Amino acid sequence: MQFKRALGLLPLALLLIAWDIAVELKVYPEILLPRPMKVLMVFVEDWQTVLDNAGASIMRVVTGITLSFLIAVPLGLMIGRYKLLDLMTDWSIQIFRSIPPIALIPLAILFFGIGDKPAIVLIFLAGLWPLLINTIFGVRGIERTLIKVARAARASEGLIMRDIVLPAALPSIFTGLRLAVGSGWLTVVTSELIAVKSGLGYMILNAQLSFRSELIFAGIFVIGAIGLAADQLVRRVRAYVCRWQEGLTASPE
Amino acid sequence: MNRFIECNGVGKIFPSKNEPVEALRGIDFVGEEGEFVCLLGRSGCGKSTLLMMMAGLETVTSGQIAVAGHEIKGPSSDTAIVFQDHGLFPWMTVQKNVEFNMKARGVAAKERRATASQFLEMTGLTGFGDRYPHELSGGMRQRVGIARALTTRPKALLMDEPFGALDAQTRGKLQDELLDIWEKQKTTVLFVTHSIDEALLLADRILVFSPRPGRIAADIKVDLPRPRTSQSGDFSALARELRGLVGADREID
Repeated sequence: MQFKRALGLLPLALLLIAWDIAVELKVYPEILLPRPMKVLMVFVEDWQTVLDNAGASIMRVVTGITLSFLIAVPLGLMIGRYKLLDLMTDWSIQIFRSIPPIALIPLAILFFGIGDKPAIVLIFLAGLWPLLINTIFGVRGIERTLIKVARAARASEGLIMRDIVLPAALPSIFTGLRLAVGSGWLTVVTSELIAVKSGLGYMILNAQLSFRSELIFAGIFVIGAIGLAADQLVRRVRAYVCRWQEGLTASPE
Repeated sequence: MNRFIECNGVGKIFPSKNEPVEALRGIDFVGEEGEFVCLLGRSGCGKSTLLMMMAGLETVTSGQIAVAGHEIKGPSSDTAIVFQDHGLFPWMTVQKNVEFNMKARGVAAKERRATASQFLEMTGLTGFGDRYPHELSGGMRQRVGIARALTTRPKALLMDEPFGALDAQTRGKLQDELLDIWEKQKTTVLFVTHSIDEALLLADRILVFSPRPGRIAADIKVDLPRPRTSQSGDFSALARELRGLVGADREID
Protein backbone atom coordinates (compact mmCIF):
# COMPACT_ATOMS: atom_id res chain seq x y z
CA MET A 1 0.00 0.00 0.00
CA GLN A 2 2.73 2.46 1.02
CA PHE A 3 4.63 1.64 -2.13
CA LYS A 4 1.58 2.07 -4.34
CA ARG A 5 0.89 5.41 -2.70
CA ALA A 6 4.18 6.64 -4.23
CA LEU A 7 2.45 6.33 -7.64
CA GLY A 8 0.86 9.67 -6.81
CA LEU A 9 4.29 11.28 -7.24
CA LEU A 10 4.71 10.03 -10.82
CA PRO A 11 2.85 12.85 -12.67
CA LEU A 12 4.70 15.38 -10.52
CA ALA A 13 8.08 13.87 -11.42
CA LEU A 14 7.18 13.92 -15.11
CA LEU A 15 6.18 17.56 -14.83
CA LEU A 16 9.51 18.39 -13.19
CA ILE A 17 11.42 16.67 -15.98
CA ALA A 18 9.41 18.49 -18.66
CA TRP A 19 10.06 21.76 -16.90
CA ASP A 20 13.81 21.14 -16.71
CA ILE A 21 13.91 20.25 -20.39
CA ALA A 22 11.94 23.42 -21.24
CA VAL A 23 14.51 25.50 -19.37
CA GLU A 24 17.42 23.73 -21.13
CA LEU A 25 15.78 24.32 -24.52
CA LYS A 26 15.26 28.00 -23.58
CA VAL A 27 11.57 27.94 -24.49
CA TYR A 28 11.28 31.04 -22.34
CA PRO A 29 14.11 33.28 -21.09
CA GLU A 30 15.33 32.18 -17.71
CA ILE A 31 14.13 35.36 -16.03
CA LEU A 32 10.55 34.19 -16.78
CA LEU A 33 10.96 30.45 -16.46
CA PRO A 34 13.52 29.82 -13.69
CA ARG A 35 15.42 26.58 -13.18
CA PRO A 36 13.82 24.15 -10.71
CA MET A 37 16.95 24.47 -8.58
CA LYS A 38 16.53 28.21 -8.32
CA VAL A 39 12.95 27.79 -7.12
CA LEU A 40 14.16 25.29 -4.57
CA MET A 41 16.70 27.84 -3.31
CA VAL A 42 13.81 30.16 -2.42
CA PHE A 43 12.96 27.75 0.39
CA VAL A 44 16.52 28.05 1.68
CA GLU A 45 17.07 31.78 1.27
CA ASP A 46 13.58 33.23 1.66
CA TRP A 47 11.98 30.58 3.88
CA GLN A 48 10.98 33.22 6.40
CA THR A 49 8.96 35.17 3.80
CA VAL A 50 7.28 32.01 2.54
CA LEU A 51 6.56 30.76 6.05
CA ASP A 52 5.10 34.07 7.29
CA ASN A 53 2.86 34.48 4.28
CA ALA A 54 1.73 30.84 4.31
CA GLY A 55 0.96 31.24 8.01
CA ALA A 56 -1.14 34.35 7.33
CA SER A 57 -3.13 32.58 4.60
CA ILE A 58 -3.68 29.46 6.71
CA MET A 59 -4.87 31.50 9.69
CA ARG A 60 -7.47 33.23 7.53
CA VAL A 61 -8.79 29.98 6.11
CA VAL A 62 -8.91 28.32 9.52
CA THR A 63 -10.78 31.30 11.01
CA GLY A 64 -13.19 31.64 8.09
CA ILE A 65 -14.00 27.93 7.75
CA THR A 66 -14.36 27.51 11.51
CA LEU A 67 -16.98 30.26 11.44
CA SER A 68 -18.79 28.65 8.51
CA PHE A 69 -18.71 25.28 10.27
CA LEU A 70 -20.13 26.69 13.51
CA ILE A 71 -22.99 28.33 11.67
CA ALA A 72 -23.68 25.94 8.78
CA VAL A 73 -23.77 22.68 10.71
CA PRO A 74 -26.38 23.56 13.37
CA LEU A 75 -28.40 25.49 10.80
CA GLY A 76 -28.21 22.62 8.31
CA LEU A 77 -29.29 20.07 10.93
CA MET A 78 -32.36 22.19 11.69
CA ILE A 79 -33.23 22.85 8.05
CA GLY A 80 -32.82 19.16 7.23
CA ARG A 81 -35.04 18.10 10.10
CA TYR A 82 -37.83 20.70 9.94
CA LYS A 83 -39.82 20.95 6.73
CA LEU A 84 -41.00 24.53 7.36
CA LEU A 85 -37.45 25.82 7.79
CA ASP A 86 -36.54 24.04 4.58
CA LEU A 87 -39.37 25.68 2.64
CA MET A 88 -38.38 29.02 4.10
CA THR A 89 -34.67 28.82 3.25
CA ASP A 90 -34.46 26.71 0.09
CA TRP A 91 -34.66 29.50 -2.50
CA SER A 92 -32.37 31.82 -0.56
CA ILE A 93 -29.71 29.13 -0.29
CA GLN A 94 -29.95 28.39 -4.01
CA ILE A 95 -29.60 32.09 -4.85
CA PHE A 96 -26.72 32.92 -2.53
CA ARG A 97 -24.68 29.82 -3.22
CA SER A 98 -24.62 30.70 -6.91
CA ILE A 99 -22.67 33.89 -6.24
CA PRO A 100 -18.93 33.24 -6.47
CA PRO A 101 -17.20 34.73 -3.40
CA ILE A 102 -14.73 36.45 -5.73
CA ALA A 103 -17.57 38.53 -7.13
CA LEU A 104 -18.05 39.92 -3.64
CA ILE A 105 -14.46 41.19 -3.29
CA PRO A 106 -15.36 44.77 -4.32
CA LEU A 107 -18.18 44.89 -1.80
CA ALA A 108 -16.04 43.32 0.91
CA ILE A 109 -13.38 45.98 0.40
CA LEU A 110 -16.00 48.76 0.53
CA PHE A 111 -17.42 47.44 3.78
CA PHE A 112 -14.33 46.16 5.55
CA GLY A 113 -11.42 47.98 3.91
CA ILE A 114 -8.11 46.29 3.16
CA GLY A 115 -6.90 43.62 5.59
CA ASP A 116 -7.86 40.38 7.31
CA LYS A 117 -11.53 41.17 7.70
CA PRO A 118 -12.69 41.18 4.06
CA ALA A 119 -10.68 38.01 3.36
CA ILE A 120 -12.13 36.14 6.34
CA VAL A 121 -15.67 37.22 5.45
CA LEU A 122 -15.20 35.95 1.90
CA ILE A 123 -13.74 32.62 3.07
CA PHE A 124 -16.61 32.30 5.52
CA LEU A 125 -19.07 32.71 2.65
CA ALA A 126 -17.10 30.37 0.40
CA GLY A 127 -17.29 27.64 3.04
CA LEU A 128 -20.80 28.32 4.26
CA TRP A 129 -22.76 27.00 1.27
CA PRO A 130 -21.06 23.66 0.67
CA LEU A 131 -21.20 22.94 4.41
CA LEU A 132 -24.83 23.98 4.70
CA ILE A 133 -26.01 22.08 1.65
CA ASN A 134 -24.14 18.90 2.54
CA THR A 135 -25.37 19.00 6.13
CA ILE A 136 -28.97 19.29 4.94
CA PHE A 137 -28.36 16.49 2.45
CA GLY A 138 -26.91 14.32 5.19
CA VAL A 139 -29.94 14.78 7.44
CA ARG A 140 -32.29 13.93 4.57
CA GLY A 141 -30.52 10.63 4.06
CA ILE A 142 -31.31 9.28 7.53
CA GLU A 143 -33.00 5.91 7.46
CA ARG A 144 -36.62 6.39 8.48
CA THR A 145 -36.66 3.39 10.77
CA LEU A 146 -34.01 5.04 12.94
CA ILE A 147 -36.20 8.06 13.58
CA LYS A 148 -39.11 5.70 14.33
CA VAL A 149 -36.98 3.82 16.85
CA ALA A 150 -36.17 7.09 18.58
CA ARG A 151 -39.76 8.30 18.57
CA ALA A 152 -41.04 4.98 19.87
CA ALA A 153 -38.50 5.23 22.71
CA ARG A 154 -39.83 8.72 23.42
CA ALA A 155 -36.40 10.29 22.93
CA SER A 156 -36.32 14.05 23.40
CA GLU A 157 -35.74 16.25 20.37
CA GLY A 158 -32.34 17.18 21.80
CA LEU A 159 -31.29 13.55 22.09
CA ILE A 160 -32.56 12.82 18.57
CA MET A 161 -30.47 15.71 17.23
CA ARG A 162 -27.32 14.77 19.14
CA ASP A 163 -27.38 10.99 19.00
CA ILE A 164 -29.10 10.37 15.69
CA VAL A 165 -29.36 13.32 13.31
CA LEU A 166 -25.82 14.62 13.83
CA PRO A 167 -23.97 11.29 13.58
CA ALA A 168 -26.09 10.24 10.61
CA ALA A 169 -25.20 13.46 8.83
CA LEU A 170 -21.48 13.42 9.74
CA PRO A 171 -20.16 11.64 6.64
CA SER A 172 -21.96 14.17 4.49
CA ILE A 173 -20.85 17.05 6.71
CA PHE A 174 -17.25 15.98 6.13
CA THR A 175 -17.83 15.94 2.38
CA GLY A 176 -19.04 19.51 2.81
CA LEU A 177 -15.99 20.35 4.89
CA ARG A 178 -13.64 19.07 2.20
CA LEU A 179 -15.38 21.22 -0.39
CA ALA A 180 -15.42 24.17 2.00
CA VAL A 181 -11.71 23.94 2.76
CA GLY A 182 -10.91 23.65 -0.95
CA SER A 183 -13.12 26.57 -1.82
CA GLY A 184 -11.83 28.62 1.14
CA TRP A 185 -8.25 28.05 0.05
CA LEU A 186 -9.03 29.25 -3.49
CA THR A 187 -10.76 32.28 -2.05
CA VAL A 188 -7.96 33.26 0.32
CA VAL A 189 -5.37 33.33 -2.43
CA THR A 190 -7.64 35.30 -4.73
CA SER A 191 -8.63 37.84 -2.13
CA GLU A 192 -4.98 38.29 -1.13
CA LEU A 193 -4.23 39.29 -4.70
CA ILE A 194 -6.59 42.22 -4.21
CA ALA A 195 -7.82 42.94 -0.72
CA VAL A 196 -4.97 42.10 1.68
CA LYS A 197 -1.33 43.05 2.10
CA SER A 198 -0.02 39.70 3.32
CA GLY A 199 -0.42 36.00 2.59
CA LEU A 200 0.66 33.76 -0.30
CA GLY A 201 -1.56 35.55 -2.83
CA TYR A 202 -0.02 38.87 -1.90
CA MET A 203 3.46 37.33 -1.96
CA ILE A 204 3.19 36.12 -5.54
CA LEU A 205 1.63 39.38 -6.69
CA ASN A 206 4.50 41.27 -5.07
CA ALA A 207 7.01 38.89 -6.64
CA GLN A 208 5.57 39.69 -10.04
CA LEU A 209 6.03 43.44 -9.42
CA SER A 210 9.66 42.89 -8.39
CA PHE A 211 10.20 40.48 -11.30
CA ARG A 212 11.12 37.48 -9.14
CA SER A 213 9.53 34.65 -11.06
CA GLU A 214 11.24 32.00 -8.87
CA LEU A 215 9.31 33.38 -5.89
CA ILE A 216 6.07 33.20 -7.88
CA PHE A 217 6.76 29.56 -8.71
CA ALA A 218 7.68 28.78 -5.13
CA GLY A 219 4.48 30.46 -3.95
CA ILE A 220 2.36 28.47 -6.37
CA PHE A 221 3.91 25.20 -5.18
CA VAL A 222 3.27 26.08 -1.57
CA ILE A 223 -0.35 26.94 -2.37
CA GLY A 224 -0.79 23.56 -4.05
CA ALA A 225 1.01 21.66 -1.32
CA ILE A 226 -1.03 23.23 1.46
CA GLY A 227 -4.21 22.48 -0.49
CA LEU A 228 -3.19 18.82 -0.67
CA ALA A 229 -2.21 18.72 3.00
CA ALA A 230 -5.48 20.32 4.11
CA ASP A 231 -7.51 17.83 2.10
CA GLN A 232 -5.56 14.90 3.51
CA LEU A 233 -6.08 16.23 7.00
CA VAL A 234 -9.86 16.48 6.59
CA ARG A 235 -9.94 12.97 5.13
CA ARG A 236 -8.02 11.56 8.06
CA VAL A 237 -10.26 13.25 10.59
CA ARG A 238 -13.29 11.96 8.73
CA ALA A 239 -11.94 8.42 8.60
CA TYR A 240 -11.48 8.57 12.37
CA VAL A 241 -14.77 10.24 13.29
CA CYS A 242 -16.78 8.06 10.90
CA ARG A 243 -14.87 4.84 11.64
CA TRP A 244 -18.21 3.07 12.22
CA GLN A 245 -18.68 3.37 8.45
CA GLU A 246 -15.71 1.15 7.61
CA GLY A 247 -16.91 -1.74 5.55
CA LEU A 248 -20.27 -0.09 4.92
CA THR A 249 -19.29 2.02 1.94
CA ALA A 250 -17.89 0.90 -1.39
CA SER A 251 -14.24 1.62 -2.11
CA PRO A 252 -12.64 1.87 -5.58
CA GLU A 253 -10.94 -1.32 -6.80
CA MET B 1 -60.22 -12.29 31.47
CA ASN B 2 -58.37 -8.98 31.65
CA ARG B 3 -58.62 -6.54 28.81
CA PHE B 4 -54.92 -5.88 28.40
CA ILE B 5 -54.87 -4.75 24.81
CA GLU B 6 -58.04 -3.29 23.45
CA CYS B 7 -58.92 -2.11 19.96
CA ASN B 8 -62.37 -0.58 19.57
CA GLY B 9 -63.58 0.07 16.06
CA VAL B 10 -60.10 1.08 14.94
CA GLY B 11 -59.85 2.49 11.44
CA LYS B 12 -57.05 4.12 9.49
CA ILE B 13 -57.30 6.25 6.38
CA PHE B 14 -54.14 7.56 4.71
CA PRO B 15 -54.74 10.83 2.90
CA SER B 16 -53.31 10.79 -0.61
CA LYS B 17 -53.31 13.08 -3.62
CA ASN B 18 -55.91 11.20 -5.64
CA GLU B 19 -58.12 9.24 -3.31
CA PRO B 20 -57.70 8.58 0.42
CA VAL B 21 -56.58 5.01 1.06
CA GLU B 22 -58.48 3.07 3.68
CA ALA B 23 -55.90 0.82 5.32
CA LEU B 24 -57.96 -0.54 8.20
CA ARG B 25 -61.66 -0.66 9.04
CA GLY B 26 -63.51 -1.64 12.18
CA ILE B 27 -60.78 -3.50 14.04
CA ASP B 28 -62.18 -4.91 17.30
CA PHE B 29 -59.91 -7.04 19.37
CA VAL B 30 -59.16 -7.70 23.03
CA GLY B 31 -55.84 -9.27 23.99
CA GLU B 32 -54.97 -10.85 27.31
CA GLU B 33 -51.89 -10.09 29.34
CA GLY B 34 -49.05 -12.47 28.56
CA GLU B 35 -50.62 -13.65 25.31
CA PHE B 36 -48.52 -14.25 22.20
CA VAL B 37 -50.62 -12.89 19.35
CA CYS B 38 -49.66 -13.10 15.68
CA LEU B 39 -51.09 -10.68 13.14
CA LEU B 40 -51.11 -12.71 9.94
CA GLY B 41 -51.93 -11.63 6.43
CA ARG B 42 -50.61 -10.74 3.00
CA SER B 43 -48.70 -7.55 2.45
CA GLY B 44 -50.94 -4.52 2.24
CA CYS B 45 -53.59 -5.84 4.61
CA GLY B 46 -52.86 -3.25 7.27
CA LYS B 47 -51.35 -5.53 9.91
CA SER B 48 -48.16 -3.47 10.18
CA THR B 49 -50.18 -0.27 10.23
CA LEU B 50 -52.13 -1.57 13.24
CA LEU B 51 -48.85 -2.40 14.98
CA MET B 52 -47.51 1.11 14.28
CA MET B 53 -50.69 2.57 15.74
CA MET B 54 -50.24 0.44 18.86
CA ALA B 55 -46.68 1.78 19.09
CA GLY B 56 -48.07 5.31 18.85
CA LEU B 57 -46.11 5.94 15.64
CA GLU B 58 -49.24 6.31 13.51
CA THR B 59 -52.36 8.20 14.47
CA VAL B 60 -55.69 6.43 14.72
CA THR B 61 -58.28 7.80 12.26
CA SER B 62 -61.27 6.35 14.10
CA GLY B 63 -61.84 4.26 17.23
CA GLN B 64 -59.44 3.76 20.12
CA ILE B 65 -56.52 1.57 21.09
CA ALA B 66 -55.59 1.00 24.73
CA VAL B 67 -52.64 -0.90 26.16
CA ALA B 68 -52.49 -1.78 29.86
CA GLY B 69 -55.43 0.51 30.53
CA HIS B 70 -53.94 3.59 28.85
CA GLU B 71 -55.31 4.93 25.59
CA ILE B 72 -52.54 5.19 22.99
CA LYS B 73 -52.09 8.79 21.90
CA GLY B 74 -48.43 8.60 20.99
CA PRO B 75 -45.39 6.49 21.85
CA SER B 76 -45.88 4.99 25.28
CA SER B 77 -43.54 3.47 27.83
CA ASP B 78 -45.83 0.43 28.04
CA THR B 79 -44.74 -0.74 24.59
CA ALA B 80 -41.47 -1.34 22.77
CA ILE B 81 -41.03 -2.17 19.12
CA VAL B 82 -38.74 -4.35 17.02
CA PHE B 83 -38.53 -3.60 13.29
CA GLN B 84 -37.85 -5.93 10.39
CA ASP B 85 -34.82 -3.91 9.32
CA HIS B 86 -33.76 -3.91 13.00
CA GLY B 87 -33.28 -0.11 13.17
CA LEU B 88 -29.87 -0.26 14.77
CA PHE B 89 -27.83 2.92 14.81
CA PRO B 90 -24.77 2.12 12.69
CA TRP B 91 -22.58 4.66 14.51
CA MET B 92 -23.25 3.15 17.92
CA THR B 93 -21.67 0.00 19.25
CA VAL B 94 -23.96 -2.88 20.16
CA GLN B 95 -23.74 -1.79 23.80
CA LYS B 96 -24.79 1.80 22.99
CA ASN B 97 -27.60 0.57 20.77
CA VAL B 98 -28.99 -1.62 23.52
CA GLU B 99 -28.72 1.28 25.96
CA PHE B 100 -30.53 3.76 23.72
CA ASN B 101 -34.13 3.23 24.86
CA MET B 102 -33.01 3.56 28.46
CA LYS B 103 -30.99 6.67 27.65
CA ALA B 104 -34.09 8.19 26.04
CA ARG B 105 -35.86 7.68 29.34
CA GLY B 106 -33.12 9.27 31.39
CA VAL B 107 -31.85 6.09 33.06
CA ALA B 108 -28.46 6.74 34.69
CA ALA B 109 -25.40 5.51 32.79
CA LYS B 110 -24.38 2.97 35.40
CA GLU B 111 -27.78 1.34 35.52
CA ARG B 112 -27.95 1.39 31.71
CA ARG B 113 -24.72 -0.56 31.49
CA ALA B 114 -25.84 -3.15 34.01
CA THR B 115 -29.26 -3.68 32.42
CA ALA B 116 -27.75 -3.77 28.92
CA SER B 117 -25.31 -6.52 29.82
CA GLN B 118 -28.12 -8.50 31.41
CA PHE B 119 -30.12 -8.43 28.16
CA LEU B 120 -27.06 -8.94 25.99
CA GLU B 121 -26.52 -12.13 27.94
CA MET B 122 -30.14 -13.18 27.56
CA THR B 123 -29.92 -12.75 23.78
CA GLY B 124 -26.57 -14.52 23.53
CA LEU B 125 -24.60 -11.38 22.69
CA THR B 126 -22.18 -11.31 25.61
CA GLY B 127 -18.78 -10.28 24.26
CA PHE B 128 -20.21 -8.41 21.29
CA GLY B 129 -20.89 -5.13 23.11
CA ASP B 130 -18.00 -3.30 21.46
CA ARG B 131 -18.84 -4.34 17.90
CA TYR B 132 -20.58 -2.12 15.40
CA PRO B 133 -23.82 -3.41 13.82
CA HIS B 134 -22.29 -3.91 10.37
CA GLU B 135 -19.84 -6.37 11.88
CA LEU B 136 -22.69 -8.67 12.90
CA SER B 137 -24.76 -11.19 10.95
CA GLY B 138 -28.45 -10.50 10.26
CA GLY B 139 -29.57 -12.79 13.05
CA MET B 140 -27.24 -11.16 15.58
CA ARG B 141 -28.44 -7.70 14.56
CA GLN B 142 -32.01 -8.70 15.22
CA ARG B 143 -30.96 -10.08 18.61
CA VAL B 144 -29.61 -6.62 19.39
CA GLY B 145 -32.93 -5.11 18.30
CA ILE B 146 -34.80 -7.47 20.62
CA ALA B 147 -32.40 -6.83 23.52
CA ARG B 148 -32.88 -3.10 23.07
CA ALA B 149 -36.66 -3.44 23.14
CA LEU B 150 -36.58 -5.55 26.30
CA THR B 151 -34.38 -3.24 28.37
CA THR B 152 -37.26 -0.97 29.36
CA ARG B 153 -39.34 -4.00 30.40
CA PRO B 154 -42.29 -3.17 28.17
CA LYS B 155 -45.69 -4.59 29.01
CA ALA B 156 -46.27 -5.28 25.34
CA LEU B 157 -43.54 -6.17 22.86
CA LEU B 158 -44.51 -5.17 19.32
CA MET B 159 -42.66 -6.98 16.54
CA ASP B 160 -42.99 -6.03 12.88
CA GLU B 161 -41.91 -9.06 10.81
CA PRO B 162 -38.70 -9.21 12.84
CA PHE B 163 -37.42 -12.41 11.23
CA GLY B 164 -38.67 -11.69 7.72
CA ALA B 165 -35.23 -10.91 6.32
CA LEU B 166 -33.43 -13.92 7.81
CA ASP B 167 -32.54 -17.26 6.27
CA ALA B 168 -34.68 -20.22 7.34
CA GLN B 169 -32.16 -21.70 9.76
CA THR B 170 -31.44 -18.47 11.60
CA ARG B 171 -35.12 -17.73 11.63
CA GLY B 172 -35.95 -21.01 13.35
CA LYS B 173 -33.26 -20.40 15.95
CA LEU B 174 -34.48 -16.90 16.72
CA GLN B 175 -38.09 -18.11 16.95
CA ASP B 176 -37.05 -20.61 19.64
CA GLU B 177 -35.05 -17.97 21.47
CA LEU B 178 -37.92 -15.52 21.33
CA LEU B 179 -40.26 -18.09 22.89
CA ASP B 180 -37.73 -18.68 25.68
CA ILE B 181 -37.52 -14.96 26.34
CA TRP B 182 -41.30 -14.61 26.22
CA GLU B 183 -41.72 -17.39 28.78
CA LYS B 184 -39.09 -15.84 31.06
CA GLN B 185 -40.26 -12.24 30.76
CA LYS B 186 -44.00 -13.00 30.71
CA THR B 187 -44.48 -10.05 28.40
CA THR B 188 -47.35 -9.77 25.95
CA VAL B 189 -46.17 -10.11 22.35
CA LEU B 190 -47.84 -8.82 19.19
CA PHE B 191 -46.02 -10.27 16.24
CA VAL B 192 -46.68 -9.33 12.62
CA THR B 193 -45.86 -11.96 10.04
CA HIS B 194 -46.94 -13.15 6.62
CA SER B 195 -45.75 -16.69 7.27
CA ILE B 196 -48.42 -19.19 8.32
CA ASP B 197 -45.81 -21.59 9.69
CA GLU B 198 -44.21 -18.88 11.77
CA ALA B 199 -47.57 -17.85 13.21
CA LEU B 200 -48.40 -21.47 14.09
CA LEU B 201 -45.02 -22.09 15.71
CA LEU B 202 -45.22 -19.00 17.88
CA ALA B 203 -48.73 -17.83 18.65
CA ASP B 204 -51.36 -18.54 21.28
CA ARG B 205 -53.71 -16.76 19.00
CA ILE B 206 -53.67 -15.71 15.37
CA LEU B 207 -55.53 -12.74 13.95
CA VAL B 208 -55.94 -13.27 10.22
CA PHE B 209 -56.19 -10.05 8.23
CA SER B 210 -57.86 -9.60 4.88
CA PRO B 211 -57.01 -6.70 2.60
CA ARG B 212 -58.67 -3.60 1.07
CA PRO B 213 -59.61 -2.34 3.57
CA GLY B 214 -57.74 -4.30 6.23
CA ARG B 215 -60.07 -6.21 8.56
CA ILE B 216 -59.77 -9.10 10.94
CA ALA B 217 -61.11 -12.04 8.94
CA ALA B 218 -60.61 -14.64 11.65
CA ASP B 219 -59.44 -14.95 15.24
CA ILE B 220 -57.95 -18.38 15.81
CA LYS B 221 -56.79 -19.91 19.04
CA VAL B 222 -53.77 -22.20 18.73
CA ASP B 223 -53.80 -24.83 21.45
CA LEU B 224 -50.86 -26.89 20.25
CA PRO B 225 -48.50 -27.91 23.07
CA ARG B 226 -45.09 -26.25 23.17
CA PRO B 227 -42.38 -26.73 22.01
CA ARG B 228 -43.97 -27.05 18.61
CA THR B 229 -42.73 -28.27 15.27
CA SER B 230 -44.51 -28.46 11.97
CA GLN B 231 -45.17 -32.12 12.85
CA SER B 232 -47.11 -31.24 16.03
CA GLY B 233 -50.67 -32.60 16.29
CA ASP B 234 -53.06 -30.42 14.36
CA PHE B 235 -50.36 -28.24 12.83
CA SER B 236 -51.02 -29.17 9.23
CA ALA B 237 -54.79 -29.05 9.63
CA LEU B 238 -54.55 -25.57 11.11
CA ALA B 239 -52.10 -24.53 8.40
CA ARG B 240 -54.57 -25.66 5.76
CA GLU B 241 -57.37 -23.75 7.43
CA LEU B 242 -55.23 -20.61 7.63
CA ARG B 243 -54.16 -20.93 4.02
CA GLY B 244 -57.82 -20.87 3.06
CA LEU B 245 -58.49 -17.82 5.23
CA VAL B 246 -55.50 -15.83 4.10
CA GLY B 247 -56.29 -16.51 0.48
CA ALA B 248 -53.96 -17.90 -2.14
CA ASP B 249 -51.00 -15.64 -2.42
CA ARG B 250 -47.50 -16.35 -3.44
CA GLU B 251 -46.12 -14.46 -0.47
CA ILE B 252 -47.72 -16.89 1.95
CA ASP B 253 -45.70 -20.01 2.57
